[in-house]
Amino acid sequence: MVSAAALRVQIEQSLERRFPAALTPVSKIFREVAATGIAEVDGLLKGGLPVGAISELTGPTSSGRTSLAHAFLGRRTAEGSVVAWVDSNDTFDPESAAANGVALKQLLWVRCQGGISVERAAVNASTTRRKPRSRRGSRVDQALMATDLLLQAGGFAAIVLDLGGTDAEIGYRIPLASWFRFRQAADRTRTCLVVLGEESYAQSSAEAVLECSAVCAQAAGSTVLDGMRYDVQRSRQRFEHRGLAELRKQPVSTWSAAAAWNVEKSA
Amino acid sequence: MSGELYACVHAPEFPAQALLRLRPELRSDAVVVLEGRAPQERVCAMNTQASQKGIVPGMTRLEVEAIGGVQLLARSIEGEASAHKVFVECAASFSPRMEDASAGTQCALVLDIAGTERLFGPPQSLAERLRAAFARAGFRTSVAVSTNFDAACMKAFATRGIAVIAEGEEAQSLSKLPVAALGLAEEHQNTFALWGIRTLGELAKLPETEMIARLGQGARMWRERALGTYAHTFQPMEPDFLLREFCSFETEIDDVESLLFVGARMIDCLVSRSARRAMSLTSLTVRMALSGGAKHRLEIRPALPTIDRKFLLKLLQLEIAANPPAAAVTALTVTAEAGQSSKVQMGLFAPQTPEPSRLDITIARLKAIAGEDSVGTPVLEDAHRDGSFHMESFAADGRYESGSKGIQRTALRRMRPPVPVQVVVRAHKPAMIHDGKQSYRVKDAFGPWRSSGCWWSISEWEIEQWDVLAEAQDKRMVVCLLVLDCARKQWQIEAVYD
Repeated sequence: MVSAAALRVQIEQSLERRFPAALTPVSKIFREVAATGIAEVDGLLKGGLPVGAISELTGPTSSGRTSLAHAFLGRRTAEGSVVAWVDSNDTFDPESAAANGVALKQLLWVRCQGGISVERAAVNASTTRRKPRSRRGSRVDQALMATDLLLQAGGFAAIVLDLGGTDAEIGYRIPLASWFRFRQAADRTRTCLVVLGEESYAQSSAEAVLECSAVCAQAAGSTVLDGMRYDVQRSRQRFEHRGLAELRKQPVSTWSAAAAWNVEKSA
Repeated sequence: MSGELYACVHAPEFPAQALLRLRPELRSDAVVVLEGRAPQERVCAMNTQASQKGIVPGMTRLEVEAIGGVQLLARSIEGEASAHKVFVECAASFSPRMEDASAGTQCALVLDIAGTERLFGPPQSLAERLRAAFARAGFRTSVAVSTNFDAACMKAFATRGIAVIAEGEEAQSLSKLPVAALGLAEEHQNTFALWGIRTLGELAKLPETEMIARLGQGARMWRERALGTYAHTFQPMEPDFLLREFCSFETEIDDVESLLFVGARMIDCLVSRSARRAMSLTSLTVRMALSGGAKHRLEIRPALPTIDRKFLLKLLQLEIAANPPAAAVTALTVTAEAGQSSKVQMGLFAPQTPEPSRLDITIARLKAIAGEDSVGTPVLEDAHRDGSFHMESFAADGRYESGSKGIQRTALRRMRPPVPVQVVVRAHKPAMIHDGKQSYRVKDAFGPWRSSGCWWSISEWEIEQWDVLAEAQDKRMVVCLLVLDCARKQWQIEAVYD
C-alpha cells in the first residue's frame, strides 16, 4: 500500500516540469500591519494598513478618505513615531489633524506651491548666469519629488501623499516606474505610504486599495451637522487568502466620524 | 638646567600666507601682496616663488607687472586677523602659555614648552610636530627651540626649518646672525656698521663697560641678547576662542560652485579647530559682502552639533540654492558656534525616527523644491479664527510623548485661498451654489454660525458659516464649509469635509 505522502511526491515529480510543487500548499505571507485606529476599517483590513507598502485611499470629495488618513496618522503619532504629509494642493487642515489626535510636533508638512516665482527665477539667473533650473515643476511633480526624498531618507513611520484635489487625468500620468520606486523604498525603510486620490493610480504597486464613499450626514436638529457616516470597500489587498464567498463580493465596512465641534462624541 | 624651555614659531610674509591659506591652488604660483591705494600700491609680502623672480618689498605695482608672471593680491587686514586666530589656536594645542612676538609682516609666537617632553617627546620631536601641525593648518613656518626666550625668537626669525639650541650653546648658535636680528633702531645699526660689527658674535665680544659708556644702558641688553643670556619676562597672552574665517576675493564671484570651493576650505578649517578642542559645530553663519555694498546672510543650524565636513558643506550648498545672493560676492565670512558633541541614546524598543543629520539634508532639499516657508511643522495659534496656524521648523529630536486618543472627526480640506462663489438664498438659507464652473443644489444647510474678531485692528473679520450638503449636476455629493464674509458681502467656500 503506497502512502498518501509517497503518492503526492510521485505526482509532483511527474508534473514538475509543468507545475512546480503542484500539490504543496502555497506558503502564506503575513505582512506587518499598522492599525488605522478605526475598528471597522481595521476589521476590514484584518489588522490595519500594511507596513512597508503603498496603500491607496480613493474616492470623490467628501468620501472620508482624509478623515481616515488623519485617524491613521493620529494612531501612528500616538505610538511615538514621526509622520509626514505631502500636500500637493495645500489643503491640509492642521486643526482637523489635531482633532483626530495627530501630534503636530511629530508631523512634517510639505506644502507644494507649484512653479517657481518670477522674481526667484530672475535672481537665480542673475546670480548663477545660467538658465534657471527647472527643478520646481507642477504641484504633482513637487509632491512626487518630496515623497521620493522622504522615503529615501527613512525614519518616517507613515507618509501621506495627498493627491486628493488633483484631477484623475493627471494622476494617471504619473509613471508606473515612480510607483515601483516608491514601493521599493517603502519596503526598505518600513514606511507606510498612503496615497489619497480620486482614483487608484499606483495599480500593481499598491498593496491595499480602499474605496471610500459617503453614506449620509448626521444632523442634530436642523442647525447642526453632527457627523458623517462613510463606507469603505476593500478593492485590492495583495497576499490575502480569501474564501469563495469573499471572492464574489468585495468586503465593505461602514464607519462614522463626529463633527469637530462635538468633543464629547467619539465613534 | 634652567628649567625653562621655549619654542618660537615664525611665519614669514604673513600677509601672503594668510591669503594663500584659503587658496591652495595659488601656492605654486608667484604671488605678491600689495598694500596702499591705487596707483600707489607697494609690495608688502610675497611667497618664495615671487622673491626668486627678484621682487622685493616696497616695489610698486608697475614694477611688479613689468616682471610678469606674478599673481597680484590686495592685502586683507581682516583676513590676516582670522589667520592669526587660527595660528594662535594651532599653537595652543601644544601649550597654553604663549607670547606674541610678531613684528611687521612677520608673525611669531613663543611657546613655553617646559614640561611637555612627556607629551611630545624631546625638543627636536616637538619642533617637528609643531611645524607639521602648522603646515596642516596652511602655514609655512620655521621653529626654533631654546632655553632662552630671545635666543629662540631670533633664531626662528633667521632660519628656515627647525633649529634646536642646546643649553649653554646659545652664544655660539647666535654668533652668525646679523646685528639687525636684535631689532635695533637705524641710528644704532649705523653705529655698529661704522665700527665694523656685523654679526651678533662680533657684538658679544665687545667690552660691556665701554659699550654702555658709548651707547647707554640699552647696550647691556643687546649684549646679553647676543650672548643668549638675557632674562626676558614672559608675558603670556590669553587667546579667545572665536571660530571665524574670512576671505575677500580679487574678482567678484557670481558662480555658486566657486563660492562653495572657498566655503569648503573655510568649513574644513573651522571643523579642524573645533575638533582640536573636542567640540562640534552647532551653527554656521555665512555673511557675504555683495557688489554694490549689499550684504547677504545665511544661517545653518543642524539638528545636532556635528564635525562632519561633507554634511555641513551639503547644507551650505542647499541653503545657497534656496536663498541665492542677489548679486556677485566680493567677500565671504564664515562664523561658527562650537558646542558639545551630540550623544543620542537609542532605544531597542523605541519607534523608528529619522536620522537627524540625514533629516537636515532632506528638509533642506525639500525647501529647495517647495519653498522656504512651505516645509515644517504646523503650530496652531491661540486664536478664535478658524485655520489660524504658523509654520515652525521640523526637528526630530526623539523626545515625543506617546498617547492614544481613539477619536475620529470629520476632517476638513482647506481651500487656500477660499473659492469665491455665487449663492442663491431662499428662506434665509443657501439654496444654490455656483462656483463659475458648475452649479450645486443645496440639499441641506446647517447654520448659520456667526463669529467675528480683531475689530480693533485692520485685520478685522466678521463671518457667517454654513455646513452645506450640496449635490452637483452629475449627482455627486459635496459637504462643504460655506462662509459669508459679512464685511465684503462675499460668499466663499473655505473648506470641504472629507
